[in-house]
Amino acid sequence: MRLTVNGTEHELDVEPDMPLLWVLRDELGVTGVKYGCGIAQCGACTVHLDGMAMRACQVPAAAAEGAEVLTIEGLGGGDALHAVQRAWIDEQVAQCGYCQAGQILQAAWLLETSPAPSDEEIDRVMSGNLCRCGTYPRIRAAIHAAAAALREG
Amino acid sequence: MIRFLVLVLFTGSAAAQEVTVDPPEDGSVSRAEGLAAWERVHDVVSHPRCANCHVGADNIPMWSGPSYGETRPHGMFISGGESRIGAEFLPCSACHVTLDAGQSRTDGPHRPPQVALDWRLAPVDFQWFGRSSAEICAQMADPDRTGGRDWVALAEHLRDDAGHGGFVKWGFDPGGGRAPAPYGLQAHIDDVLTWGAAGTPCETGG
Ligand code: FES
Ligand code: FES
Repeated sequence: MRLTVNGTEHELDVEPDMPLLWVLRDELGVTGVKYGCGIAQCGACTVHLDGMAMRACQVPAAAAEGAEVLTIEGLGGGDALHAVQRAWIDEQVAQCGYCQAGQILQAAWLLETSPAPSDEEIDRVMSGNLCRCGTYPRIRAAIHAAAAALREG
Repeated sequence: MIRFLVLVLFTGSAAAQEVTVDPPEDGSVSRAEGLAAWERVHDVVSHPRCANCHVGADNIPMWSGPSYGETRPHGMFISGGESRIGAEFLPCSACHVTLDAGQSRTDGPHRPPQVALDWRLAPVDFQWFGRSSAEICAQMADPDRTGGRDWVALAEHLRDDAGHGGFVKWGFDPGGGRAPAPYGLQAHIDDVLTWGAAGTPCETGG
């Protein structure tokens, strides 16, 4: 299969039903994307697939043929920090950190589709991303901060 | 008599099944037979595999099954929004991945089901969840509330959805250890046609 990950094209020989999460982690060594449950219950594996936040554990490789994937490694272009990542640091969101790559990618997608989300919108969009450490209040604060920063340019 | 044929390839099984729409002549079926057929149609449309996404204007899909106890709102604070595809919040397809036709689904208990159409709630006019048999019957008998479909068109819709690898086919073959909707797709199509040929009778009340 052909897959572009964080701007780099790859040609891979994998089973068509291998989950994209496995392709990224085991075949390409892109380990910023995390495995939590494998059944779309936790959101740890969230990536952008052709611009859409998706659970990589649910995407069969065949359904990602030719797609562009963005993971935490590529957010902000790789060298710079994305506004969401900066806000995450300012708000000191992470505790253990395991869920945070997925949280950040889901939040970045939210702000692309809704530049000034309400608390209800944030809760509706982010509730599929679980955090065992309970960082939810800081996630919400960081999303508001990132939204303000993006609006100010 | 018109005969439509479609080849339905059931993913996860090697068996291919032909689904036909073979309408009896209008008026050729008695009211009693029509009402008996409606009872079976109702068993299908009120089954959780169908009704859980045929919800009302709150746009909240439902979950049910042996591990859930009572039927309850979809976890993760999910709302389909007025778009009914989650466009206002988290699109259904973020987890319910849309397959290409013929692609085999990822399957297993508690995994989000996948079909070859974008996952969505049925239009709000088609609310079945929480509605009585008589209410659903009146809705399905009224083309203003079926997207303009009469009984033959409803049966064709069932066949065509299955041909696209959509939700109807999934309801009868949901995988993941889920209980399927009863009777099977062909029997359901035949029951819709029997009910229709009897003049779409509905019990009043109930
Ligand atoms: S690992 Fe994909 S949602 Fe949990
Ligand atoms: S920071 Fe530990 S799981 Fe979220």
